[in-house]
Amino acid sequence: MAEVIPTKEMPPGLQVENVDDRIMTLNVGPQHPGSGHMRIIVKIDGDYIVDADPDPGYVHRGEEKMAESRNYITNIPHLERPVIHDSCNILYPYVLGVEDLVGIEVPERAKYVRVIAAELNRCIYIQYWLAIYGIFLGHSTMFMWPAGDRELFIDLMEKISGARVTHAYFVPGGVRNDVPANFEDVCLRQVNYFEKRIKEYGDIFYDNPILKARTEDTGVLSREDAIRLGTTGSVLRASGVDYDVRVKEPYDVYDELDVHTNVLKAGDSYARSKVPWLDMLESCNIIRQALEKMPKSGSIRTKLKPNPKGGLDEVYRRVESGRGAAGCYIVSKEKPEPYRLKLSVGSFRNLIALPYLLKGEKLGNMPAVYWSLNYWPVEADR
Amino acid sequence: MGTATGIIKALNSGVKHLAVKRFTLRYPEQKLKFVGDGYQFDPASGVAIAGLKGRHMLFHDHCTGCQLCSIACEGVAEAIAMVKVPDSWGQNKKAIMPQIDYGKCVFCGLCVDACPFYALYMSNDYELSSFTKEGLIYTPAQLQVKPQVQQDSELIIDKRGARHG
Repeated sequence: MAEVIPTKEMPPGLQVENVDDRIMTLNVGPQHPGSGHMRIIVKIDGDYIVDADPDPGYVHRGEEKMAESRNYITNIPHLERPVIHDSCNILYPYVLGVEDLVGIEVPERAKYVRVIAAELNRCIYIQYWLAIYGIFLGHSTMFMWPAGDRELFIDLMEKISGARVTHAYFVPGGVRNDVPANFEDVCLRQVNYFEKRIKEYGDIFYDNPILKARTEDTGVLSREDAIRLGTTGSVLRASGVDYDVRVKEPYDVYDELDVHTNVLKAGDSYARSKVPWLDMLESCNIIRQALEKMPKSGSIRTKLKPNPKGGLDEVYRRVESGRGAAGCYIVSKEKPEPYRLKLSVGSFRNLIALPYLLKGEKLGNMPAVYWSLNYWPVEADR
Repeated sequence: MGTATGIIKALNSGVKHLAVKRFTLRYPEQKLKFVGDGYQFDPASGVAIAGLKGRHMLFHDHCTGCQLCSIACEGVAEAIAMVKVPDSWGQNKKAIMPQIDYGKCVFCGLCVDACPFYALYMSNDYELSSFTKEGLIYTPAQLQVKPQVQQDSELIIDKRGARHG
């Protein structure tokens, strides 16, 4: 790990080696409300962090190992557990991969329904993330507003899939059920209102000078370091790298839609917290386009055999989830169960940047830097 | 933009919400309206019908005791057990029907997708809490009862914002 993390200039006068008991070791978590289900071991000299060591693994559930003893359909409710707020997007690469293995085509309408569900889910996730970011920084209005407005999209997902958080909606071959009657009108109405609401966040949160004073120029990640550390998603885009899987490797019908990538250059906590918000506005655009282009009727699921089997094959597919590129690698050995399944998730990749970003920061800036990484502890542990 | 104007703008956007109706759903008094009668599956077309994934509905006159729902649940939650029922049905010679433990059920609905005889659906009933663990285990006789669910509130969006009413 040591050679991976680039060196960073520290404020002058700080002691890195523990010579005369100046360095204090502090455990943040795993029960700390600000850390989530993980621990960050920070070493501080006075008010400055001289070393940080994230310690994930407290909510490791072995989803990848469990997948090896379950068939391709019963894996669905399990694999969405790591991120229940973003369950469609974490299931997306798996479903695309199994479709490649089994060799089935997805109906056109199902592709559009999937894109709509995935974008709705992305907004649900980002709203939840933003609510926590707000309360981390002591901005309780920014906790209430996203947590309330999230209900608009949870309501839509409940109408489509029948569940509020763990939808289990995508299956290899399409989606499980068609959208209800007059869904297009309800969805359009709610998306338009939602867009109007999240634009209001600009005034109270993103243009707020207090937030800017707190987050600007803290935890700066340069473009080169962002690429070298292997970060993804909003962290990468906030550092000025124009990379989005939806644009670079379009899956399903993203190549037919006009997707705009939001890139900011600053690379600080403020830019990292602003990119997801811009992504939500972009998601509203994508949903509107998809609703317009979606075939009005047609099949939404290609029927699978009861126990689908893949050949002697392996497949890797990836999508853009709420936290960055989410990939799924499946090895099949002519059995109904996958021989090996591996999830590659954005949270874990972004966590690698944390020790680098925290060095030289004040301890009070830790929550602002940590949660701006768009990190979800359960997903990193899997 | 200066610091003072920024703070005034932020305050102003909050103050505007004094005139907006409250969004919160007053839950025990108000309850949400759902689409349809719950999640159902049509084995003929292989496609489900949208609806809430709540407590199951078991139709005794359709259930053949084939255990497919139980097998589907084995890899997910192991919530379904096949139990003996006292009365016998023509199509169900073994007289076994699913009994569902809601302490384990994750409401994924894969058991409904597995049923080829239109015997197992999901209903709009979501208030399943109980004081004991045994109270969460629903026998085939309990699953047969059609739930009466209060549904009187839905999302309204107008010029004064969104609210439940």
